[in-house]
Amino acid sequence: MIAFRRTIQLISLTLFLILLTLAVLSVNTPTPLDLFLRLDPALIVFTAISSRIFVAAFIPALLVLVVTLFFGRIFCGYICPMGTTLDGTDKLFGTSRKKQPETGKLRLLKYIVLFFLLGASLLGVSFVFVAAPLSLITRFFGLLVHPVLAFLSNETLGLIQPLAEWLDMDSVVFMQIAVPRFATQFFILAFFVALFVLAVTSPRFWCRNLCPSGALMAFLSKKPLIHRSVSDDCTDCGKCANACPMGAIITEDPGVTLHGECIVCRTCQNTCPENAISFDSVKVEHVDVKQRFSLTRRQFMYSGVFGVATATIGLTGLNSLHGKPGPGQVAPPGLIRPPGAFPEMDFLARCSRCGECMVACPTNTLQPIWLDAGFTGLFSPGLNLRRSYCSPECRMCGEVCPTDAIRSLSKDERIWAKIGTAIIFRQKCLAWEQQKSCMVCDEVCPYKAVEFRKEPGNPVPVPQVREEKCAGCGYCEHFCPVQNQSAIVVTPMGALRLSEGSYVAQGKSQGLNLSIDHKSAYGPQVEEKDGGRGFAPGFENDTSGND
Amino acid sequence: MNRREFLSYQAKGILWMIAGGSGILLPKRLIAAPVPDIAVVKGAPAAATRAAVDLLGGMKQFVKPGDRVVIKPNMSFATPPERASNTDPEVIRELAVMCKEAGAAKILVLDHTLDQKELCLERSRIQKVCNPISEKMVFALNDDRFYKAVDIPGGKSMTSTDIMKEVLKSDVLIAAPTAKSHSSTGVSLSMKGMMGLNYNRRVMHWKYDLNTSIVDLCTILKADLAVIDGTRVLSTGGPHGPGKVLKMDTIIASKDMVAADAYAVSLFEWYGKKFQPKQVRHILEAHKRGLGRMDVENLNVKAISL
Repeated sequence: MIAFRRTIQLISLTLFLILLTLAVLSVNTPTPLDLFLRLDPALIVFTAISSRIFVAAFIPALLVLVVTLFFGRIFCGYICPMGTTLDGTDKLFGTSRKKQPETGKLRLLKYIVLFFLLGASLLGVSFVFVAAPLSLITRFFGLLVHPVLAFLSNETLGLIQPLAEWLDMDSVVFMQIAVPRFATQFFILAFFVALFVLAVTSPRFWCRNLCPSGALMAFLSKKPLIHRSVSDDCTDCGKCANACPMGAIITEDPGVTLHGECIVCRTCQNTCPENAISFDSVKVEHVDVKQRFSLTRRQFMYSGVFGVATATIGLTGLNSLHGKPGPGQVAPPGLIRPPGAFPEMDFLARCSRCGECMVACPTNTLQPIWLDAGFTGLFSPGLNLRRSYCSPECRMCGEVCPTDAIRSLSKDERIWAKIGTAIIFRQKCLAWEQQKSCMVCDEVCPYKAVEFRKEPGNPVPVPQVREEKCAGCGYCEHFCPVQNQSAIVVTPMGALRLSEGSYVAQGKSQGLNLSIDHKSAYGPQVEEKDGGRGFAPGFENDTSGND
Repeated sequence: MNRREFLSYQAKGILWMIAGGSGILLPKRLIAAPVPDIAVVKGAPAAATRAAVDLLGGMKQFVKPGDRVVIKPNMSFATPPERASNTDPEVIRELAVMCKEAGAAKILVLDHTLDQKELCLERSRIQKVCNPISEKMVFALNDDRFYKAVDIPGGKSMTSTDIMKEVLKSDVLIAAPTAKSHSSTGVSLSMKGMMGLNYNRRVMHWKYDLNTSIVDLCTILKADLAVIDGTRVLSTGGPHGPGKVLKMDTIIASKDMVAADAYAVSLFEWYGKKFQPKQVRHILEAHKRGLGRMDVENLNVKAISL
């Protein structure tokens, strides 16, 4: 049975990692790449509450809850990539399965976490990112493990290059592995190292004591259809209680199971020397253990109030948006949200900070932000356009978002999903300030939003942005040759943030003219680049340049 | 170490130049038909490319059996051939075929792309069209580990840069740019195209004068053969486009990259006007510094139509 469970766990973790890898490679599959995130009960339930929406993408998590009702917490024991990862690291860090100290009180923490999230989400503030297991484990693998592996692989390619050249293996010689870089990775590292090391206290410390999804499922599996039962052959030896990774068996009375804590791993069944344990649908013998292992009503309430209070304090932060947009809302000046992101408040209520969009972003421009958008915006995605541009043909972030905080857009809609507007800092610009021939911003702009013009007294043409053609994609900011901060910077000005309806229609009604036309361009039907002003940038006049 | 390797690279180049030079001189005396300085052929992309190189004495004048050849196309933008911001794939394939016929041991088509490399290789269609010759030929080498620091002894402003190692290792360098306008440098032809073979292009804008540093770069990346693809000319809106594309069906070839560029400037229309080579600053400077000749009126130009 243990082998069976291990197999299922490994298959599940592998599938999770495969989907994550496919997201990295920008490969779309019939299986949604965010499938596992959508299975996470706490992530989905509290996102639904905080954003006051229910979308079809949320159904998988509800199915998990329904299954739990009948079969117990099999999600934790068999499916959850976080649980499987912790099983693995428990082996590395954990003490051998010696007698566990009774952690009856500690495990109540997870209900506090649960009601904390509930309280905050009732106020419309999503804190699922601090505790939803799939949000955490996606960030762990996607934003921490993946860049490290990519870095090592690329370095290895460099090391073996001479050998590959000698063997004339061109596919190895010329292989390039994109190495993404992410902000906040040390936070993720510290968090997970702490979780891994807590295994010295008890196996699956997280799942027992902290996981809000586990807590939610524990509520629903007090009396599951399939459950552990102990026959009269039991000699009360207590071996099963010692072996149970979840501490779900009372040591003094091994016949009693805390079904809410049980993840149906069947370790007890395997351990029992008398074969007294089975998992079937015998009627649950009623044992009242409530007093010791659940919170009092008052404690529930306190936890909820704690969540409400934290959310309230978060909302009184300087950078937290609340209420209608207007004067006095201090939004971060440089924060660019991904294309198709909902209006800011709805966006933050929906976003579970799982990092899937950042993992899938092929240019690595999407980054977790720290406190730029206040405490309530912690770890949400923002674009770092100096790192890279946001390709107008790419729709990956919207495709993989499990909670639809970023809308999934059609090709045309995507091109019109304006995320900001570029502005030129003339004092930093080589052409404007130093009179050097540089037009890189114009060279790279896919929207043809940068034009050049002649300035009196300046021998070289200078760039200027045509706002109505600029979608804020950031090619200019990324490629600008000026050191450190770019001389052309995308600001959130004019970003279209629509909760519904068409970006094309909205953009056109605002007078925008966004296009990345790749059509054939023979003949004069194409608009002259210089606006018909009849000058040829980069050429010297007939009179100058002679010797 | 670097300098020594660079010198040996230079010495090798000189040897080949002598070898190539004697190859050119010999048949010229024998058959008394002067090899033109610039060959201009009107026709379909592949046929015109072959004819232009044949007018210069054929690919064997440039590529010896066993040579390593690097072809430098324009494939920096994720745009289709019709947009004329990348070299026509047929031109590149024909050049590769001719190199193979001449006995090249290794042929690589290399660029350092601006857009995502996979998209550039796909949209330019260069990789697909060249695949039948070899699937390991067309690469976008954007990672810095493919580059090596070298000195530029003849550099006026830029005195060192990082060059693609494969180029340093090669025996023959063929510039195969598309003919296009460029908002910073007037045109982007074989000389400006060499900015696809070094790593740090940013310094060429902010630290140095762009036109001067292009010439500096070309002193160490002097193409043995320049084949300019003027089948379509991006006359305005370059280097990225979209802009006005002129269908010119012309291939210009020369062993003097400055002369090839100069001829392309004077032959085609730019922004609806005609220009002289000296109006392009990097061409003028290259001419003055003796890298090649822009006085095309004094050169032997052979023009044919297929």
